[in-house]
Amino acid sequence: MTKRPLEGLRVGDFSWFGAGPIAGNTLAQFGAEVIRVESEAKLDGLRRGHPFAMNPDGTFKEGYNVSGYFNNYNCGKLSLQLNLNVEKGQEIAYRLIEKCDIFLTNFTPRVVEKWNLTYKQLSRVNPRLIAAYAPMQGMEGPHRDFLGFGAVLTPVTGLSEMSGFPNRPPFGIGTNYPDYVVNPGHTVTAMLAALRYRKRTGKGQCIELPQLESVVNTLGTAVPERLVNGTNPTRNGNRSISAAPHGAFRCADDPESVGSNDRWVVIACRTDAEWQAATKALGHADAASDPKFATFAARKANEDDLEALIGNWTAGLKAEDAAATLQTAGVPAGVVQNAQDMLDRDPHMKARGYYRYVNHPEAGREAHDGPAAVLSETPGDVPGPSPLLGEHTMDVCERIIGLNMDEIADLLADGVLV
Amino acid sequence: MVERALEGVRVVEFTDETGAYCGKLLADLGADVIKVEPPGGGRQRNAGPFVTGHDGEPNASLAFWVHNTSKKSVVLDIEDASDRAKAKQLALSADIVIEDNPVGFLAARGLGYAQLHAEKPSLVYTSVTGFGQTGPHANWAYSDIVGQATSGIMTLAGEMADPPNMIYGHQADISASIHAAQGSMIALLHAEETGQGQQVDVSAQEACSMSQETAMQSWDFQKKNRVRTGELGAIPLRLPGAGTLKAKDGYVLLFIIAPAGEDLPALVDWMREEGMQEDLDEDPYREIIAAMNMGFLTQLMGDPSRAAQIIGHLPHINDVIGRFFESKTAKEAYEEGQHRRLLIGIVSKPADLAENTQLRSRNWYITFPNPVGDSPVEFPGPPYRLSESPATVQRPPRLGEHTAAVLSAL
Repeated sequence: MTKRPLEGLRVGDFSWFGAGPIAGNTLAQFGAEVIRVESEAKLDGLRRGHPFAMNPDGTFKEGYNVSGYFNNYNCGKLSLQLNLNVEKGQEIAYRLIEKCDIFLTNFTPRVVEKWNLTYKQLSRVNPRLIAAYAPMQGMEGPHRDFLGFGAVLTPVTGLSEMSGFPNRPPFGIGTNYPDYVVNPGHTVTAMLAALRYRKRTGKGQCIELPQLESVVNTLGTAVPERLVNGTNPTRNGNRSISAAPHGAFRCADDPESVGSNDRWVVIACRTDAEWQAATKALGHADAASDPKFATFAARKANEDDLEALIGNWTAGLKAEDAAATLQTAGVPAGVVQNAQDMLDRDPHMKARGYYRYVNHPEAGREAHDGPAAVLSETPGDVPGPSPLLGEHTMDVCERIIGLNMDEIADLLADGVLV
Repeated sequence: MVERALEGVRVVEFTDETGAYCGKLLADLGADVIKVEPPGGGRQRNAGPFVTGHDGEPNASLAFWVHNTSKKSVVLDIEDASDRAKAKQLALSADIVIEDNPVGFLAARGLGYAQLHAEKPSLVYTSVTGFGQTGPHANWAYSDIVGQATSGIMTLAGEMADPPNMIYGHQADISASIHAAQGSMIALLHAEETGQGQQVDVSAQEACSMSQETAMQSWDFQKKNRVRTGELGAIPLRLPGAGTLKAKDGYVLLFIIAPAGEDLPALVDWMREEGMQEDLDEDPYREIIAAMNMGFLTQLMGDPSRAAQIIGHLPHINDVIGRFFESKTAKEAYEEGQHRRLLIGIVSKPADLAENTQLRSRNWYITFPNPVGDSPVEFPGPPYRLSESPATVQRPPRLGEHTAAVLSAL
């Protein structure tokens, strides 16, 4: 087996929910030893979050170890149960952090301070440490203690205002979207940059990822339009200022799809040539020469009619057939896929083997997101199932922190390792 | 003088919409990122919105600016043999090549992974495309909305009655680029240690798919497809202290009934201070408000007759709370509500973000010279703050601005 590229790197993952643990998950996929520090005294809500694995009789499995939501973001980590509300727990945390290259948390500044895990404190324990903090608004500033999580971050960062149809209120995008790629991905990028810096200088450093700044940074041109042009743009549904048609069009029901009355194909025509190809592929070549739709300007001017027309064409088609036909003609198109499509029906996803299946001792066989960056020589992988709560407490205390059995017994008796 | 994290790293990119943000992240961290552009510029240079008064100018595209800060620009026509040779020489001077062309496009021009790797084994070569380098759809045409659709995230956004919603801001491109940045950096660290380069293959479809949240596991475990639930969410009922509400000048999102922070009675206290509580201090409203949180809702679901009684009173409570928020600006509601530890978010418009108290107080916005004007412009800062080797955002290059300087130094 090839050595994975981050082998030898040790990460103290003091995070919870989505944005923090996913950063640790990526590092684990590429070979880092990631120690997830958690406690029943402040349990990660995802351990109690749906969807849960199921028993053969159709009932949900129970307990802290069977949430697919949690398990997907913690593959191959070690779990150390440690109560950071007590002083002895904080001492053990320091002894662990001494042995780590990277520290990671997304707890609020208030909790970080209460647990004595500020960068000032940790860098005294381990000057080579790269310590990453990913609070909602920042570790400092007038809003640093504002409450929030993904559901609130989405409106505050402008994603809600800028997404969806203009005749609807800005109710958001259906998920805690920034938690899954944008924030953890930025965090890991910064960590890797800091690792390179440390290799060259020997110096650790503090990384702060205010989630507000991280997300607004990816908000297209919305804020620059305000800053540079003084305008205040808003949402425009699925339309684009540089492509028409550009949207999702309803297709025929598909009895094999669970939720079969919700099949759609997206189509994006960025040039007149793509539009002409699309009309031909869908069997309506005459529409390309209709003056209402012949040019980009005409299609934008008649976009309601354009969309209604295409909707008529696709209504009788199977979504996969519409997408494939358009793609054969070189037109960007694709099925609005659901999870069944992603896991079981999309031949391309299957061929690339993105999803990895692992056997979890309690949840059973479960799917994991694989690494989305496929490295040809030192690939990542899903290194194993996610840990049971506290599964590696003894191992981490003994092997990594260097405690002896008497010390561990005392900590257990004192309620520190809970 | 602070050393930059990626000082000494040269990146040559052949990117347009999908991979440009990857190059930006590396450039802002201090890499020397050289963007090779076709004459006239690519799709992004020619897409709006543009700086007012500069419509159609390739140096004035804000779409280009946001994904191309801190880079250099070299114009080369890779359809031309002599330019192609220069492009190859330039690529071989790099530690990392980033590209987002159709599969096989650069290889057909002598600039593919195999060709460059053969001449420079330590090279990291990152391809960021819609569907990746392998598989039956590898050659499919791609645009951001196609990535969002095929990754499974679009089906989760919007009302069931509407088409699924795209998320604003080219998020499939962004997701692909962010994964590409991580993969490129891991490969770079490996190459710097061992001399071994490699190919990094990123599919936008896969990169975006982790954002399906729990939909993937719902199918895996339960064989259920999670569907979009629109404005009301999973419980199709308007609940006091939850949801998107109108303010005087916009909207706020309330999530007061979530476990964090103060509960609904603290909102009524605030309303009372301003004389707007109406009859919410009277029963049955007072009693319902005192009990209203997630635990209470769970209980109600097991007690249909009690639930029926309570549900009948909710519209009135919602109306009174609605009138209160309509009397405030979104910013007042957000900042004052949060100071009272009520979970309220402003639905920020671009103008709100430009004036956001936190962003302004932390000096997040930076200033750089306007590539097409005389006075400097403000611009979003980097996504992270590194204490020793900070990321910095410098102005995007004008088309071909560095052609002569870069090529003469080869």
